[in-house]
Amino acid sequence: MTPSPMDRRGFLKGALGAGALAAAGGALTACAPGTGGAAAPSRLGKPSASASSVKGEITVWNRSGDLFKVFDAAIAKFREAYPGVKVDHMAVDIDAKLADTLISGTDVPDGSFWDDAKIGGQAEHLYDLSDLIAPYRDRIAPYKLSVNTVAGKIYGVPWDLDPGLLWYREDILQEAGVDPAGLATYDDLLTAARTVRDKFPKTKPIHLDKSPFLGQLWLEMLANQQGTSLTDAQGRLRLDSAEYRRIFTWIQTVVKDGLATRAPYLEPADVNTLDGGQQVFVPWAIWWSFAPQQLLKATTGKWRAAPLPAWTPGGPRSGAMGGSSFVIPAKAKNPEQAWLLYEFLCFKEPGYSALYGPSSVYPGGLSTSVPSFTPALDPAKPLFQPIDALGGQDLWKVAVEAAATIPAAAPIPAWWAKSVDYLGDNLQRLMDGTMAPDDVIGESAAKIQRNLIDRS
Amino acid sequence: MPALTTMARPGRATAARPGQRRRIRLSPYLFIAPFFLVFAAFGIYPLVFALQLSFTRWHGAGAATWVGLGNYAYLLTSQEFWASLGNSAVMWLLIVPVQIVAGLAGAVLLANARLRLRGLFRVAFLAPFVTPLVAMAQVWIVVFDQDYGLVNHLLNLVGLPDVGWLTSTAWSKPTLALLFLWKTTGFAIIILLAGLQAVPASVYEAAAIDGASRRRQFWSLTVPLVRRSMAFLVVVQTLAVFQMFAEPFVVTEGGPYGSTTTAGLYLYDHIAASDLGTGAANSFLLVLLVFGLSLGAVRLLRPKDEVS
Amino acid sequence: MNQTRPGPVQYALLVVLAAAFLYPIWWAVSSSLKPAAEIITDPLSVGSLTLDNYRAMFADVPIGTGFANTALVLAVKGAMTMFFCPLAGYAFAKYAFPGKNVLFGVVLLTLMLPTLVLIIPLLLEMSTLGWVNTYQALILPGSVDAFSIFWMRQTIAAIPDELIDAGRVDGASEFGVFARVVLPVIRPGLAALAVLTTMNIYNDFVWPVVAVNDTAHQTLQVVLSTLAQNVTGNRIGADFATVWGELLAAGSIAMLPLLVIFVLLQRHFINGILAGSVKG
Repeated sequence: MTPSPMDRRGFLKGALGAGALAAAGGALTACAPGTGGAAAPSRLGKPSASASSVKGEITVWNRSGDLFKVFDAAIAKFREAYPGVKVDHMAVDIDAKLADTLISGTDVPDGSFWDDAKIGGQAEHLYDLSDLIAPYRDRIAPYKLSVNTVAGKIYGVPWDLDPGLLWYREDILQEAGVDPAGLATYDDLLTAARTVRDKFPKTKPIHLDKSPFLGQLWLEMLANQQGTSLTDAQGRLRLDSAEYRRIFTWIQTVVKDGLATRAPYLEPADVNTLDGGQQVFVPWAIWWSFAPQQLLKATTGKWRAAPLPAWTPGGPRSGAMGGSSFVIPAKAKNPEQAWLLYEFLCFKEPGYSALYGPSSVYPGGLSTSVPSFTPALDPAKPLFQPIDALGGQDLWKVAVEAAATIPAAAPIPAWWAKSVDYLGDNLQRLMDGTMAPDDVIGESAAKIQRNLIDRS
Repeated sequence: MPALTTMARPGRATAARPGQRRRIRLSPYLFIAPFFLVFAAFGIYPLVFALQLSFTRWHGAGAATWVGLGNYAYLLTSQEFWASLGNSAVMWLLIVPVQIVAGLAGAVLLANARLRLRGLFRVAFLAPFVTPLVAMAQVWIVVFDQDYGLVNHLLNLVGLPDVGWLTSTAWSKPTLALLFLWKTTGFAIIILLAGLQAVPASVYEAAAIDGASRRRQFWSLTVPLVRRSMAFLVVVQTLAVFQMFAEPFVVTEGGPYGSTTTAGLYLYDHIAASDLGTGAANSFLLVLLVFGLSLGAVRLLRPKDEVS
Repeated sequence: MNQTRPGPVQYALLVVLAAAFLYPIWWAVSSSLKPAAEIITDPLSVGSLTLDNYRAMFADVPIGTGFANTALVLAVKGAMTMFFCPLAGYAFAKYAFPGKNVLFGVVLLTLMLPTLVLIIPLLLEMSTLGWVNTYQALILPGSVDAFSIFWMRQTIAAIPDELIDAGRVDGASEFGVFARVVLPVIRPGLAALAVLTTMNIYNDFVWPVVAVNDTAHQTLQVVLSTLAQNVTGNRIGADFATVWGELLAAGSIAMLPLLVIFVLLQRHFINGILAGSVKG
């Protein structure tokens, strides 16, 4: 890759940026938060050296598994562009370690992969990356920018975007005479589900997940689609709203009309009802795509993806479900080099192509999410290939077109996962037909307010 | 602590010669010194830190806010806190009595020289204790799956309906208790075997000469002599049950509907959400509770010849 | 002992129970030898045999390093526990000394405090000492543990005082009484302590996972947790099936040394002790 003009010029942005840069020379720990009472976040400025002269060694943490290997290959590309930077790429149990390591401040990595939901709660231990991301911010998916922005400052380099899609059985819809292109609203989906059920009485066409955690994550996808989320940017609860009520009422109708298959995500009961023809519609994130590729034997090749229906005619056709970004701890030893790595992986063509394009691990490319950098999201320039398990459908095109409509949200509160005990559980009750929408809202809101918001 | 510490009679220092007295006075302190050195180095700081933390609101960054007894008051007025204790109490009832009986039966059985296939049984009953939990927990998810699990399949074969082992609030606790029992009964057997083997065989021989029946030998000789091991087992398993979090965390995530959110998992949830002050307060409340329970258990199981 | 040969009904019951106890282990090992996706789609079947999961696991995680570090920690920490805990247990069981109740109370308190709440303070202490990523951080905290002292105290309390006094009359030093009179008598309890200590150290992961950041110091359980995160993390991601295979492979290999030790030692561990007590 050729270094961008910005890299070569290497100007410093703002006094704080210069301070952080000087600190990186040795006195970095002095201004890092966590040790003292004041919580002034460190702000990371632009590195001054050019690509060929940047030197240093960085340790970056990542999850284990196939994704780790994909990153390994992409990091090799980075080393070609920045030969002076040595990268120690480590697979660690991030959920178990990173928060504690940030608090202790010792031997912190220079950068780490992290769940978007975790970033808001630990912002004080992270570098403020606002200045570095500024040149790209107009070209970052609004949702990803919003979840990484706490009190106006950006703490994560936004990585993957996980658009929700409507997965459906192409063969069954054809036999039932339903045109998937006509599924423009959630009411259309209800009508189609009834048509399918009347034609094939054994079907319970719509998947409603049985896991409280994933159920709530799914709920947030449907909320994000309407431009809202559990809390606003100030951390205030916004569950009691027309948007959430609309979702809950729709779920209630699905349940009352006997249109729901209740199964836990890709556990045997789910796999069997997917393969057995009982499930026809799965509104879910793009990462569901690996089910027909790896797990479904009888129905592989029969599934297709479409944008989600809209809540209101003409409304957004997708919402985000999950996702991760990269953080640079305030006590990183070589934060600038870590930034260069993440900038390369997220915003530079050779970087994101190496991650999403064909690789030895995924010969057709990584098709379980898409980049959040909009220049990468060209429907005509697919990073991953059409998928046989989807009958050769060009999932890339469907996904990036849907992704383009995803509205912004708000940073995810630190207690989000814990709120599953209230909202996630009550959502399950709604899906079981034992709780009404207003009670889900009222009870969950009261519990979340008392046990989580009032205590944070 | 009186009941716990006076289970043993103090050594009779009066029997010693005068020159020995000083050594006898000093020796116990030397003998326990290593523990207290390690405790001073790595125990006191975390303990004091946690105690202080329990009176503050702190999320791991910035300054902590002093809230006095606020965290304790919050927990004691929280329905969820009491529910977690209730869940653990039920788990305790499902686990500890069963484990004592099964452990004793297993220990007596595995010590029986006339048992055929003894090697097989020993491996079978003790092996689960050495397995890594995260991998084994998945077996429970698979075997107890409502629709496709082996257990319901076997029930159907004999004409019984499916049971929601992990999906109904009625069965989730027994199913998790079974995992805990499977995993740790080997531990109970080892403890009780050691107690059993401390019983000199000559005692049994004497009893046999006296013509005591085997059943009577068991109740009048074996059980009283392993009481100390049983008391130990009750205390450490009470601790283990109330602190249990990995099993529900991996298998049920505390569900369905919070039915397996044990005291340990509830505590873990605070810490995982970086609500460290509440987590610390929760820990100390648990210590108080578990200490009281242990004391009660030890009183019940104290050997008859010892008075406090 | 009251040793009777069990009847056929008892044997049948025992065999069924043994099979139920062994089934989960058999499932884990046999699943680790199945193609990864089949573990999820067809969990109860015995699939076609493959070593793919093992190959992938060895390529992905430093399990060899894990074994070496666990062995080292086990040797040092285990030796400390086996030496110091019986000694402390003896002091609490057989001596009367001022402050004993309070001191034993402190021992019990450390046993009753949930480890979870101590992790962050202990990590802060380690980082002040500069001990993050060191063997001493893995070994020293908890090296003379309350559980073992409590167990040894219970075991030693059962020894008749007369035996100890007789040792003193013979002119042995206080430590000599412990070494020559107490230790031989509590062999069954020591054997149990050895087994329990091995298990505890071998399977400990809550502290090692946070105490160690670099690959060089990872213990076996830290390596396992690196794999487990993708399985416990709500199955998000394309590779939970393959990671499943790797986790089961690593888990199967991890329990192998302990199972072998068990099978080799069980005869010695139970029979040898019984034979001794028959003589006595």
